[in-house]
Amino acid sequence: MSVKLTPISNGVEGLFISNDRFNTTLVSFNFYLPLDKQSVAVNGLLPFVLTTCSDKYKDFSKLNYKLSKLYGAHLDASTEKNGDYQLLKISASVIADRFAIDGESLTAEACDLLLSLIFEPKVENGAFCEEDVEREKRKAIEHIRGEISEKRTFARNRMIEEMFKDDAYGVSKCGSEEDVRAINGESLYKAWENMLKTAFIRVQVVSSGMPAGLFDKVREKFDAAARENVTVCGKSKHVIPRDTVNTVVDKMDVAQGKLVMGFSSEIEGDSENTVPLMVLSDIFGGGPYSRLFTNVREKMSLCYYCSASSVRSKGLLMVDSGVEAENFEKAQSEILNQLDIIKKGEFSDFEFDSSIKSLKDSLKTYNDSQSAIDLWYALRVIDKELTSPEEFAEKLSSVTREKVIDTAKGVKLHTVYKLMPIDAVKE
Amino acid sequence: MERTKFESSIGESYVKAELPSGLKIYIMEKPKYSSAYAVFGTKYGSIDTAFSKNGGEQISVPAGIAHFLEHKLFESEDGDAFTRYAKTGGYANAFTSFDRTCYLFSCSDKFYENLEILLDFVQNPYFSEETVKKEQGIIGQEIRMYDDSAAWRVMFNMLSCMYENHPVKIDIAGTVESIAEINADLLYECYNTFYNPSNMFICVVGNIDTEKVLKQIEASIKEKPAVTIERGEFFEPQTVDKHYIEQKLEVAIPMFCYGYKQKIATPNRRLKSKVCAALLLELICGETSPLYARLVREGLINDEFDTEYFTGHGYAAVIFSGESQNPKRVAQEIEAEIERIRVEGIDKKLLSAVRSAMYGEAIRRFDSVEGVAMQLIECAMTDSDLFEELKLLKSVTAEDVYKRLDLFDSENSVLSVINPKN
Repeated sequence: MSVKLTPISNGVEGLFISNDRFNTTLVSFNFYLPLDKQSVAVNGLLPFVLTTCSDKYKDFSKLNYKLSKLYGAHLDASTEKNGDYQLLKISASVIADRFAIDGESLTAEACDLLLSLIFEPKVENGAFCEEDVEREKRKAIEHIRGEISEKRTFARNRMIEEMFKDDAYGVSKCGSEEDVRAINGESLYKAWENMLKTAFIRVQVVSSGMPAGLFDKVREKFDAAARENVTVCGKSKHVIPRDTVNTVVDKMDVAQGKLVMGFSSEIEGDSENTVPLMVLSDIFGGGPYSRLFTNVREKMSLCYYCSASSVRSKGLLMVDSGVEAENFEKAQSEILNQLDIIKKGEFSDFEFDSSIKSLKDSLKTYNDSQSAIDLWYALRVIDKELTSPEEFAEKLSSVTREKVIDTAKGVKLHTVYKLMPIDAVKE
Repeated sequence: MERTKFESSIGESYVKAELPSGLKIYIMEKPKYSSAYAVFGTKYGSIDTAFSKNGGEQISVPAGIAHFLEHKLFESEDGDAFTRYAKTGGYANAFTSFDRTCYLFSCSDKFYENLEILLDFVQNPYFSEETVKKEQGIIGQEIRMYDDSAAWRVMFNMLSCMYENHPVKIDIAGTVESIAEINADLLYECYNTFYNPSNMFICVVGNIDTEKVLKQIEASIKEKPAVTIERGEFFEPQTVDKHYIEQKLEVAIPMFCYGYKQKIATPNRRLKSKVCAALLLELICGETSPLYARLVREGLINDEFDTEYFTGHGYAAVIFSGESQNPKRVAQEIEAEIERIRVEGIDKKLLSAVRSAMYGEAIRRFDSVEGVAMQLIECAMTDSDLFEELKLLKSVTAEDVYKRLDLFDSENSVLSVINPKN
């Protein structure tokens, strides 16, 4: 496995990730724009409209028919928060030409299709067609509303929203329902033009061989796009500690309550310093050897899940758990107690070693998944060294117990979010 | 040890072996991969609530016991399997479904040490009253979590209307009440029946050496006399109990499951029948179908829409699920489309397109070690060949697919809806 970066145009680069183990080729276009409350919804809708129709394939039945003929080529669209940037991702994957029964050039056709979807959308008089915009708006709104159906995700998102109230990171990756409603054909067209002109762009290919001429075709398109004011991807702002803990309670008619705790850390985002935060998070509430699993779940039987995770670009550590309303206090104080134990260095070498081994082992499996390896590089766009998952795994060897303890000492509770059953006892 | 090598036209191959004890082993080498994935499974799931062993008397056990046993098997007298895996860095997990319980690990290093742990803890149960009690609290919370999951509830509500007696209608984890009846003796009884090598399988995929894996398994498997398991037969009417069920939960958009119970004469379906059903579902409402386009255009479905041919020992149904502002309309439209196809026949051009797409999907699945392992589990469960699907996708005819319209009898349909509370 090797990677090769090719400058393509102003703020556009190509990354070929050579990997010969798959039967498929994956090509992804990654557009990075500043994460901003005003534009997150309209930007977020773009990948979805662009992958459902185009000038050539006027509706998605025609497009889907084409994909079927390309042996079920996949088209994927997503919007993600990547620190202080919004990542719009449009990708296609297709099985290798050698499997085509009639010798079709599947990879070349899929690449051309992807280019045409991005650069030749179905537009009229400087606007996307109302029917397409309204359809995708409806789906986006249903997606936003639908988040409430999965209480664990809902609670995690609510905590982030509250914790980052004064920071763009607090917005939902699809924006608010109100902002989605306000989108029309013209505003979406402007967002599309803006994306092509100003986004930082990384085109990634995961395959055994580079599709012939792909980066040249991309260059041609972007050289014609008069790119200016290109987004510069840099470090994200990290969360500022609070003096008093912000507690937010929502009531809902549910059987099980959800407790989510957000912590600030003294970790500066997007740097090598964040590696100890990853280890801390894992010792605290990662695998079954972690403090939260062995104590809050196994010893105290308080919950089915109680786990920690980190968003290193923002210096955020969070814990989420599903608990009975009557056990909220007990669970919260035990979670904090476990963090204190780590701060005091009272965790075992076994826990520390287990965590390092587990993180290393899992990083080394990334190359076995096309989408995982694509996302790995896409989310680390500011890493000019193009650190591979294996190289990153080696960096874990330099993390010491002391580093983890130091990192833990800088961790401070910021926001507690509780999703309480309506009939729960008053606190 | 008996063994057979299976090869395919797409360059993938695997070995199937069987030990004298009846344990079946499936291994696919993927030398270019960094990782490996292994599963030790038993044909024992939530539907096995009544059974007899070696011709003895039939016993009934509490709902949720297979899943409970799965949780408890990780423990041994001197610590738990997770602690052992922590020393190797492997990722370990397990799952219980309607008809199977599987213990798995994935790793990029120390494969054979991980395999040793897997083989050891699955073969060495240790249940005590004290640890059973502790687990009741944890699983109780897992059940409560599912009580709030609309996607879970909408499915089980449908199954409860569809099946009168078959235990597929019962939640995999059981209920807080049923798991309270579980004790160590019952766990041993179930273990000694279903965790016999003759009822078990091992699937391994990835960067491993087949011979070395086979040797290690052979040396570790405790030979036990094979058991004869009589699974409880549940008299299940061919018809459904109710056509409609509704529940209110904290959701924003109504969720639905619309299913057709299949009338079946024998407990299990053949692969050809499953492949034809999958093709037919694509023709009825796959993303390339006219109905799908219409439902999306009219705002009736979104990306959550999905279909499944749901089948296991003694049950079979076709299920359409998703979110919709008007689930009843969606159900009517599906039924009308089925009738249209019944009258007008199969659209050959569309069939050719969905056939290509499914062929591509089948090839794509070989890209994931986990994906292949899951398919090998299916082979072990149904005693089928991994490459059979690829062959069938080329050979089944429009007539074969058309015949599968017999799956849809509106007399046997159930619509389950979760509506928002407010």
